[in-house]
Amino acid sequence: MNERLLLGRSIDTGSWVHKLDPRSKITGMLLYVAIILLSTSWMAMGLLAVFSLLVMATTRIPLKYFIKAAKPLRYLMLFIFIVQALSVKSGDVLWSLGSFSLYEGGLRLGAFSVIRMLFLLTFTALLTFTTTPGKLNQGLEGVLAPFKKLGLSPDRITLMISIALRFIPTILDEAQIILKAQASRGADLKELPLKEKARMLVSLLVPVIASAFRRAQDLVYSMEARGFRMDAPRSRYHRLRWGAADTLFVAMFIALGIAVALL
Amino acid sequence: MAIQLQQVSYTYADRSMWRQTALHGINLNIAKGSLTGIAGATGSGKSTLLQLFNGILKPTEGTVQVLDVTITAGEKSPKLLPLRRRVGLVFQFPEQQMFEDTVEKDICFGPLNFGFTLEEAKERARKAMTDMGLDLALLERNPFRLSGGQMRKAAIASVLAMDPDIVVLDEPTATLDPVSRAELIALLERLCREQGRTIIIVTHRMDELLPYADSWALLKGGELAFQGSGQELAADPAILERCGLTIPQSLRYWQAVSTRFGLGTEKPLLTAEALAERIAAVLEERKNAAGTEEMGSGHE
Repeated sequence: MNERLLLGRSIDTGSWVHKLDPRSKITGMLLYVAIILLSTSWMAMGLLAVFSLLVMATTRIPLKYFIKAAKPLRYLMLFIFIVQALSVKSGDVLWSLGSFSLYEGGLRLGAFSVIRMLFLLTFTALLTFTTTPGKLNQGLEGVLAPFKKLGLSPDRITLMISIALRFIPTILDEAQIILKAQASRGADLKELPLKEKARMLVSLLVPVIASAFRRAQDLVYSMEARGFRMDAPRSRYHRLRWGAADTLFVAMFIALGIAVALL
Repeated sequence: MAIQLQQVSYTYADRSMWRQTALHGINLNIAKGSLTGIAGATGSGKSTLLQLFNGILKPTEGTVQVLDVTITAGEKSPKLLPLRRRVGLVFQFPEQQMFEDTVEKDICFGPLNFGFTLEEAKERARKAMTDMGLDLALLERNPFRLSGGQMRKAAIASVLAMDPDIVVLDEPTATLDPVSRAELIALLERLCREQGRTIIIVTHRMDELLPYADSWALLKGGELAFQGSGQELAADPAILERCGLTIPQSLRYWQAVSTRFGLGTEKPLLTAEALAERIAAVLEERKNAAGTEEMGSGHE
């Protein structure tokens, strides 16, 4: 059990967002991403922040989980900020040292990039927090269905995603056990100097990869044994149902988009 | 005492939404040089309990005392590396932890980590292989090319090579064939009796361990439901059912035989051979007794 890894783990609080059709949530998220990219002013950012916090609050999931979801990428965000701040040369010069100057525009764009990324991570975490992987996948299949006519196979894509998602926790748990087993044999990653750590990593990676291959093999055999066929028509245990709340949810995002565009 | 647990609790992911108490207020004593079996239904906390024994997990409440090392919840624990050498922990499916390209290198991994020289490590590898009843020719083989039973034994040898005083095994016989299972248990018993090591085995098959175990610990829902000898268990097998376990056949047979012939105070016989002999002896006694009685009545 890995507490730090929140990716793809749903937290059931039974809020209205949890009960929405996954298709509406995915559509909402796509709109949200577009809105984030289109908003270029402090006003728009402020509006986005208020909107995001309100929606997050209604999921009844503590805010700290959303923050935790963004935490792993904090250095990337810092990096993006620095690069933007140093490379964009527009607006007033705020500070200069020899041939090097820091512009107001650079700082602003850097800040915007970081804020966008923060919104993107925390808000898309909402999707995985409120939707079980199975439903998410079914929703994705629904959203991708129109592409069938273009020769794209939504089944294939969603199968790939669902298998990948399904095995993340399994492989992590397994890695955890192997980590413990090697620690019991005196290779405790926590207690070793960095150089030794790198060497010990082999003792972790080889067994984990070997077992991932073994699992993949078993999975293929068991799917074949049960006559699995790609693109075969299937009936679903849970049917997706689009209700008034779903329309409302998507409408909220459209309204947000219009507001941001007008600002 | 090799291992002493006082009021030990363990909670996974403490202070988060997924917090889950796996062990609750456990008091457990395991004697030096004994062979102890631990049983319990799935999810009763057996594997968590094992991981406390060598400091892989630290108790969230209470005190764990292993050999001369004391780990108390909330306090900074002493260096755990020396403890890990003295307490060999064999996880479920230990063959999955192998990663080197020869069995020998894999077995040497542990001893080398604990600071032995390559020569010493190789020597220990050979000894551990012999202890596990494996052919030394296998040392040069790739571990992935061994049979299931051989791999399991080689993996256990890789823990034995650290020369631990306590060996803790999580379901060592799972998925092995019946012959390998019996062999493995016999080998582990030898380690206990001949080399004086403390052996602790978690098992789902109580039958195979009952004849050998000195004491048993039963877990139920994260709490210790029973600790005592196999004899005590035989006297009141209902406790097993309360723990969600089925009563092993050997205990059922013994119970049936002892109530039928009134052997309640004797040490339970838990192998088919011993039980058959005892029944034969009882019948013989009865026949003789009946014979003398008959003679007596005939005299009248």
